Amino acid sequence: MSNEQLIVSLLVVPFLSALVIGIFFRRRHEIAAAVSIAAASVVLLGSLYLIFGNIREEFSYEWMTFGDYTVSMGFYFNDLAALLLFVVAVVGFLIHIFSLGYMKEDPGKARYFAGLSLFMFSMMGIVFANNLIMIFIFWELVGLSSFLLINHYYHKPAASEAAKKAFIVNRLGDFGFLLGIIWSYWHFETLNLFEMAALVEANPDILHVGIGLLLFCSALGKSGQIPLHVWLPDAMEGPTPVSALIHAATMVAAGIYLLCRIYFLIPPEAMVWIMWVGAATAIFGSLCAITQTDIKKILAYSTISQLGYMVAAFGLGSLVIDGDAGTAIQAGIGAAMFHLVTHGFFKALLFLGAGSVIHACHHEQDIYRMGGLWRKMPVTFAAFTVGVLALVGMPGLAGFFSKDAILYLAWENNSALFLILAATALLTAFYMTRLWLAAFFGEPKTRASRDAKENNWIMTAPLVILAIFSVVAGYDFMHPAIFDGIMQEVPHAEGADFALVAGVSVAVLLAGLIAGWLFYGVGAREDRLEKQFPGLHGFLSARFFFDDVYEWYVVNVQQRFSSLLNFIDHILISGLIVRGAAGLVGLFSLGARAAHTGNLHVYVYWIFLGVVLMWLVVKGVQ
Amino acid sequence: MPESYPFLLHLAIFIPMLFGTILLLFSGSLGEAFVRRIAFVGFLVPAAVALWLWIAFSPDPVTGYAFLSTVPTGLEIVDISLKLGLNGISLPLFVLAGVVGFAAGFYALVSGAERLRQYLALLLIMQGGLMGVFASVDVFFFYFFHEIALIPTFVMIGIWGGRERHYAAMKLTVYLSLGALLSLAGLIALYVQSGASSFDIISLKAALEGESISEVAQNYTFALLLFGFGILVSLWPFHTWAALGYGAAPTSAAMLHAGVLKKFGLYGLIQIGAPLLPQGAENWMYFLALLALGNVIIIGFVTVAQRDLKQMIGFSSVMHMGYCFLGLACLSAVGVGGAVILMFAHGLTVALLFLLGNCIYRRTETFDMREMGGLARNTPVLAAFFVTAMLASIGLPGPGLANFWGELTVFIGLWQYREWMVIPAVFGVVISAVYGLRAVGNIFFGEPTEAFQSASKGKRIPDIQWHERTPALVLLVVLILVGLWPRSLTDSIDESVSPMYRIVVPGEEASVTGDDGEFEAVSFERAEGPVSCCSPPKRGPAGGL
Repeated sequence: MSNEQLIVSLLVVPFLSALVIGIFFRRRHEIAAAVSIAAASVVLLGSLYLIFGNIREEFSYEWMTFGDYTVSMGFYFNDLAALLLFVVAVVGFLIHIFSLGYMKEDPGKARYFAGLSLFMFSMMGIVFANNLIMIFIFWELVGLSSFLLINHYYHKPAASEAAKKAFIVNRLGDFGFLLGIIWSYWHFETLNLFEMAALVEANPDILHVGIGLLLFCSALGKSGQIPLHVWLPDAMEGPTPVSALIHAATMVAAGIYLLCRIYFLIPPEAMVWIMWVGAATAIFGSLCAITQTDIKKILAYSTISQLGYMVAAFGLGSLVIDGDAGTAIQAGIGAAMFHLVTHGFFKALLFLGAGSVIHACHHEQDIYRMGGLWRKMPVTFAAFTVGVLALVGMPGLAGFFSKDAILYLAWENNSALFLILAATALLTAFYMTRLWLAAFFGEPKTRASRDAKENNWIMTAPLVILAIFSVVAGYDFMHPAIFDGIMQEVPHAEGADFALVAGVSVAVLLAGLIAGWLFYGVGAREDRLEKQFPGLHGFLSARFFFDDVYEWYVVNVQQRFSSLLNFIDHILISGLIVRGAAGLVGLFSLGARAAHTGNLHVYVYWIFLGVVLMWLVVKGVQ
Repeated sequence: MPESYPFLLHLAIFIPMLFGTILLLFSGSLGEAFVRRIAFVGFLVPAAVALWLWIAFSPDPVTGYAFLSTVPTGLEIVDISLKLGLNGISLPLFVLAGVVGFAAGFYALVSGAERLRQYLALLLIMQGGLMGVFASVDVFFFYFFHEIALIPTFVMIGIWGGRERHYAAMKLTVYLSLGALLSLAGLIALYVQSGASSFDIISLKAALEGESISEVAQNYTFALLLFGFGILVSLWPFHTWAALGYGAAPTSAAMLHAGVLKKFGLYGLIQIGAPLLPQGAENWMYFLALLALGNVIIIGFVTVAQRDLKQMIGFSSVMHMGYCFLGLACLSAVGVGGAVILMFAHGLTVALLFLLGNCIYRRTETFDMREMGGLARNTPVLAAFFVTAMLASIGLPGPGLANFWGELTVFIGLWQYREWMVIPAVFGVVISAVYGLRAVGNIFFGEPTEAFQSASKGKRIPDIQWHERTPALVLLVVLILVGLWPRSLTDSIDESVSPMYRIVVPGEEASVTGDDGEFEAVSFERAEGPVSCCSPPKRGPAGGL
């Protein structure tokens, strides 16, 4: 099998798996799960072979042509793609395994695994695509698989609503993305990433800030940046492994990947915007996470916040003034991708840990109705703790290295941004401490948490493996030369800078941890913030009114506007104009009937008049 | 046996017509089983022929047509001949007519309609007419076959229709007859002014290549064609017949009309109007594009407001016609090519949606989406079909949903025509996601509403049955085939469209050369768009898009 065939088959195998399950094994749940896991294993093995065999390829097939306009199905596998592929294949495989336990009793298990396979297919497409059209196609397809998987419990109205919202909000982002693609096509006369990069290199002035911002809309939707983040917390209605795979580790990270893949199309003016959107999202997400009580929603807002970190890191590259802009952008990419990888591991770990807890507590998701779980679920507790420490950036764990790379970049370039990101880190430590203490310590608060038992190895083994990755993913030996294209670009602080950045990082971490501990206490029964500072709590839990604005728009603007147009359509066009015209015709015919008197003389006069009129008309025309 | 292909073409047209006539004339004396069998064959033959000819298609490089043949009719003395053949534009629509006709016919066979013989007979006649429309090279017969297909529609709505059928049938008749009349006037004017000695498109084109019609005459003639055909394709604001008519029409008739017959107008403009009256087309296109944006945006929002499933499908079909018109308005190979793909894909999806909508109705006994809910629990396969069809309809790019190719290509072409128009056009994609997903959610997800629960109490709701599944699968398979491998259609479309429409000429302002005051706004709008940022691509080797 040639390398090209291998790459194509990595795309095709999950698709076939979804198709086969959908057509033949809808009711054969065990077979469906086996097929899907087999497909995930093929993807994992094939990917590892590609990545560590250092195989890098670019090729394409023609799909459709009109005159000069050609769409091709193209593949472009470089170090950047290899890095994301590694995360997708490993996390994807582990989550397939975990799902085997989590979805054991689910009546829609076959449908669920078909959805997972469809997602793997779509994600593979994004990883490999070499042109914007193909990226867009798979971009929408991950949106579709996300829609199907969020909607897994379709009989729950909340799940159905959340799925719809996710799809429509993402489409809003894709609206900008598609405009950007069409504009790029006429601007660069090609949509092939390779060719566009060459054009930009030859003539950097060709860049247009509008194109850059429109293409950024893609990440705005998929990666949950303000103001299109509203779908992500709602998407937690889906099964927890789905949240781990799609809404934490891979799909939402695809926005960052896309930005890194097309960085050369984004001029510095647009980068500044992107950076501030990312920073705003980072602090916003962490503020919202503080008041949530649903364990998955806390993690969802934390994801939004961390994605903001990555976007800010990407945008930061632009701030190195003049001259050496090229390498600065690369540094931004390096930092963003590094954080994407470590975050992919530890956030998947946290979500799966939450899934393990939820599974053991009979689908209890409120952290104030758990408690004391550390004794009952030791493996989950240990793994979750590793995840928490990695997320808050404990020195020695993966999150520390990647977060420090971003903080260092900010320190070098923009002190305001540095402050925001440091504050985000503090808040992150604060809300994660709250979650950790409430869920795992103190006394069990409900029967479900009292009876909780550790899950079997099918669910704990993926946790352990992800915990290991969450520790080691930050070290250099995890990033051998095959990822050099990206990992070489990760900025490293040296000497005094290192001491300062690491010092600040550790200081905010400790501050957040201690503040969280002191404020919430161990095993709290209720939210102290809500009791003692209801005003602040109310303000934060309103989540800056984004959701209210959307709801208001849908109910009061969109609905009314379409009803109004419908009314106009019915009454004015269909009623007044058309029936009015019919009435006019009727009136005319009444008049015409009056002219037909039955008197021969009158008819002769009419004929004469007609002839004169005709003569005049002919004369006039000529 | 290439010589036998023209004969196949004749079979596809005349077998259904013949069988239909037999059923009408001898309806009393034929047994039920025989009627079903003969009708099935009548629907199968055009579909089989269409698929075969699709594979065998290789056009003559000079005329661009394949399978040309002339049948003597005796009308040659008035320059009319029954000349049949297919080119790259008519081939997709011919295939569409065959496939949708088979699905609609199959569904009619199992529908258990009252007076089944007459119903099938009318459908068969309509089917023959449809095959004839797209196989006619002669403008007269192109029109004649359209009338043959149209008249049964009126009758079917009037007799087998749902509520408001009489009003709907009347309105449909008035509108469509008016549209047909205007376009007939336009076609005759075109023939008279061309100075050709034949009604067939190839000779008309040859005659006009020598000396073209004066611009003023082109303007008037094209206006007749535009509004005549436009009414037939539910161009905004002449669309109000559509949702009403489809709402009242029996399912198979709605499938055939919305899926295939409606494309007649667009096909006429693309195949005849715009290439033969290039200046008239240029002058009217900006106006057409504005109306088409009305289809996309205004009707898009109107669709969001619909509560009745069938009305919603009807309005969404009106909306998508807007994209086809926008593609035509570009008058470029890319835009028109996109319009043709979209016509093909939309024909399949809208027929599928009407079919599945009726399957839903049989289970819920209502078309009101507010009274449905949670149907997926009982009918998972029906849900899967409907979700697929709806996602295809709203242009989800996907493993094999062909609509996206059409929309994307139209957008690409449109940018080159008027940049600003792409923004509302692409926004339509968001609007369609809103109504599409809302419909899916209301019908299949969530809890069943109380009304629905009490209505269906004690009854087991069956999933989609084989007789419903077969026609749906036929439509879906063709859609996915083209979606996965668009070149199976686009190569032949490109071959036909490229010589007829401009490709992209460097430096040429893709705008109107009208000296008429009415069109001065055009150049103004042009200047306002973000032109400066964007130079039109040069003609050259294909970029690796």
